Amino acid sequence: MDVRAILLIGGRPEAAGEHFTGVPLAMLDLLGASLLNRVTHRMHQQGIGSIAVISEYDQFPDRQLSHDLRWFKATNGQFWRFTEAVFNDFAQNGAELIVVMRLASYVAVDYEKLVQFHLDRHSRLTRACEPQGEALDLFVISTSRRNDAAFIFRNMLERFRVQPDMFPLAENQHRLQTVADFRRLALASFAGKTSIEPQGRQIRPGVWVAPGARIHRDARIVAPAYIGAYARVRARAVITRGSVVERNSAIDCGTVVENSTVLPFSRVGAGLDVGFSVVGFRHVFHLQRKVDVEIADESLLDMAPTSATARALSDMVNLALYMPKAMLAGLREKGREIPATLPEAIQAAPPSLSAAAVEHQDRADRHFAPELMAARRYGNE
Amino acid sequence: METSRPVVVKRVPERVNLKEAREFLRSVEPILHSDRPQLVFDLSHVRQLDSAGVDMLLHCMSEAMKRDGDVKLAAPSAEAMVILELTRTGRLFEIYDSATDAARSFSSFLPNVMRQFSAPEPATVSFPGTGVKAAASRQPAEKNESAA
Repeated sequence: MDVRAILLIGGRPEAAGEHFTGVPLAMLDLLGASLLNRVTHRMHQQGIGSIAVISEYDQFPDRQLSHDLRWFKATNGQFWRFTEAVFNDFAQNGAELIVVMRLASYVAVDYEKLVQFHLDRHSRLTRACEPQGEALDLFVISTSRRNDAAFIFRNMLERFRVQPDMFPLAENQHRLQTVADFRRLALASFAGKTSIEPQGRQIRPGVWVAPGARIHRDARIVAPAYIGAYARVRARAVITRGSVVERNSAIDCGTVVENSTVLPFSRVGAGLDVGFSVVGFRHVFHLQRKVDVEIADESLLDMAPTSATARALSDMVNLALYMPKAMLAGLREKGREIPATLPEAIQAAPPSLSAAAVEHQDRADRHFAPELMAARRYGNE
Repeated sequence: METSRPVVVKRVPERVNLKEAREFLRSVEPILHSDRPQLVFDLSHVRQLDSAGVDMLLHCMSEAMKRDGDVKLAAPSAEAMVILELTRTGRLFEIYDSATDAARSFSSFLPNVMRQFSAPEPATVSFPGTGVKAAASRQPAEKNESAA
């Protein structure tokens, strides 16, 4: 049987918050793989052949994504027309059933059972629901009912010509409508409350590390935590309280990442305190303050190129420029006058205490033995 | 306790990058070089603050402290607060909800931070029938024994 799928990202007015700096939440890595990647992988495993994604956003580079995935970018006005057109295209090309899913939540679905339920009921339209009965934006539509499908799409999956048969799922959905939901989903997955498994090896109880990740021996990783593929955690960095460092990210020396997610390709500067935030694409979204802050300063937060070649070139250029930069900095320092003694402001007593300080100094001189010498432990001065 | 020295409140611009930070520093330098400068930076309009801005704030604080003064922050915007927390500088400053509160704090004897940890008011003990009230205080055990 030819079963295909249409996955929808955005498309509704309330979907305005379902992205982080223009990248849909469903496309962001969550413990090593994006939600879209997990859903398509599962669909492929369970016999759904061709998958089309209709999104309001551009595709974010993800090498793990299946190559036969067709991506269509549609603006808000054309979104549902586009969906209808893709549905019709699938129907003309021989599809018998089409699974339509809006990626605004995560739930583990047994697609085989869903399709079988649809077939057993001789249903035109089947809709999945939570065990308690709350309906999800997940449908199975028979391609023979194109008018029904067109009606559903024109009403943004909210109204139907025929009442759908409800298919109860085994578990509740985890909403993914805000950045806070995204972070909550990561914590729920650490706690084993979802079927999402971190992509990597569990090196210690509660600490997962993906292949290629480099963690300095002086860095501290406190469980639960996840370090993605090719991520770098430098010396004295601390990753703690359910923090996630996604692929190709770098946490610089001494930085503390607490209860936060560092998105792919992010470079977090040295000596920072990242807490209760989702960090990436030169933005920090603070979950407690509910504010998105753009960081223009590269020393605080930067983004590595998403292409591997560009990343390698950038690293080479940085390496080549390191010595000249260091020499230039040295020359600049040479030109600057370095005071031989401590700055006056430190040595001099404040005006209000000057009399007392002078008196104290005199007393100190009197009690200091003249034959006593102070010497440095190291150095030849 | 009142002080006669003036408290200067300066509004920090919306974007504080290297250029803006230098300009701002130039404008506050005369105040910083005075004796015991008392400065309040109003951060309510700040939308973007980078490391140069944070560096400028720290420089102002160190300059003020060299001269026995202080710099306090008032009404920081959420964006400014995120950067201050991110760079671990928020804990170095006294931060107040409004510029008025910050300015008033200079004239109070104890800074607010200290007041949080100061000892509570001693409880009063009344002696029934006498109309006498006295402050109850704990004496060290040794002293009590020796007195006995």
